[in-house]
Amino acid sequence: MNPASEHLIRTPLYERHVALNARIVPFAGHAMPVQYASGALREYQIVRGGGAGIFDISHMGQIRVSGPEAMAFLQHVTTNDVSRLADGQVHYSALLNEQGTFIDDITTYRLHEHEFYLCVNAANRGRDARHLLQHAAGFDVRITDESEDTALIALQGAASQDVLQPLADIDLDAIAYYRFAPVGLLGRQTLISRTGYTGEDGFEIYMPADIAPAVWDALLEQGAHPAGLAARDMLRTEMGYALYGHEIDDTVTPVEAGLMWITKLDKGHFIGREAVLARKQEGAKKRLIALELVDRGIPRERYPVLADGQPVGEVTSGMFSPSLQRGIALAYVQPAAMDSGGLAIEIRGRAAAARLARLPFVPSRVRK
Amino acid sequence: MTIPEHLLYTKEHEWVRIEDDIATIGITDHAQEALGDIVFVELPAKGRKVQAGEAFAVVESVKAVSDVYAPVAGEVVETNELLESEPEKINTDPYGEGWIARVRMSGDKVELLDEATYTTYLEE
Repeated sequence: MNPASEHLIRTPLYERHVALNARIVPFAGHAMPVQYASGALREYQIVRGGGAGIFDISHMGQIRVSGPEAMAFLQHVTTNDVSRLADGQVHYSALLNEQGTFIDDITTYRLHEHEFYLCVNAANRGRDARHLLQHAAGFDVRITDESEDTALIALQGAASQDVLQPLADIDLDAIAYYRFAPVGLLGRQTLISRTGYTGEDGFEIYMPADIAPAVWDALLEQGAHPAGLAARDMLRTEMGYALYGHEIDDTVTPVEAGLMWITKLDKGHFIGREAVLARKQEGAKKRLIALELVDRGIPRERYPVLADGQPVGEVTSGMFSPSLQRGIALAYVQPAAMDSGGLAIEIRGRAAAARLARLPFVPSRVRK
Repeated sequence: MTIPEHLLYTKEHEWVRIEDDIATIGITDHAQEALGDIVFVELPAKGRKVQAGEAFAVVESVKAVSDVYAPVAGEVVETNELLESEPEKINTDPYGEGWIARVRMSGDKVELLDEATYTTYLEE
């Protein structure tokens, strides 16, 4: 690690990562494991191949929103329709600014009518909290950033339930996809949702920071394998899931990003609604697409996308897909380019032929 | 980490084995370990003339793209096509099945280090 890492925030699991010979890198201000001794590819294969991987994602932020007007407030600041959430249900959503572009993408958990829990990106946490506080005036709500006291472990892969069940005090079958429940683990209360970022069955476990090392150890003992950010990025890219700073940021709206499915224009007013509506009517100048390389090569972020030899866009995430054994990419292109026959990605000055792909690149096996 | 005694090394972490006028080139165990799982190798074209120190091959891991520099000037006479289907050979056997190319030397070389000097260089 470089000297700058001294200023990085360590998660409650930092010592565990070091003990497991993880390669630690700076990520969103945190010292995070990018991979462990066995390597990112092996970690990917465990999660995709029927095993269970555990990812420390404690860098992510948790913000509690409570009070009599919590729901009205979240209807105002988030894009998805909070009124459709039942107690114990989660949905994917976003915070937009008045320009309709992304402040962050988030998940919203409804504990009950007057209490919600938001999980936000590490890099945006401060900005999100400020945005929420700024717009809370006039609403009877309380906003609490609980990130510092909360650890978060994602347990992902087909074997996840087998790994977790012996440690849990409830039958995990009771937690359906995008649902959550309070679960006792090692005698302490945690919140567990059947959610994830990999396209596999699995759980995200929110817990008090102090029990995270013991939970981590217990999961390892049950047969889970530690997995780092590199494997996580491969798994999410194959599913076509957006990553803030790559597919979405404060220059794009849900129209370009293909995220209108979490942007409910018919739910009434919310911040950014008018701008999104206008963008939708005028038409997007670029669209997020999925590309699969026909030629050999690996697309990488910012590589140009060509249509009939002309630049029409740029790769936002690219990788070698171990499942497909070829290069895959998410990219923004001018809408007209989607009808072009001659798509390619420019790799080191050479045009590598590509074709449009349908997402997800690899079939999702989440338990619906 | 292995650093065989019978090879020469560059500060860019290539290894070279010189037999008569042919240099066999690969990347070191240190380099493959730093890169992580290698998933793609772009080999130079056979017949290509390279300068000493010129980037002539590319090795890509899960997260990184890395140039491989020709330690010697000359003509590429053979490449390890096995790496096109099994790039991970660079991880598992960097000094053997993971070799990248053979160059018929014609003069120039970059500074080549022996095993002891390369070991010291890595420790610095």
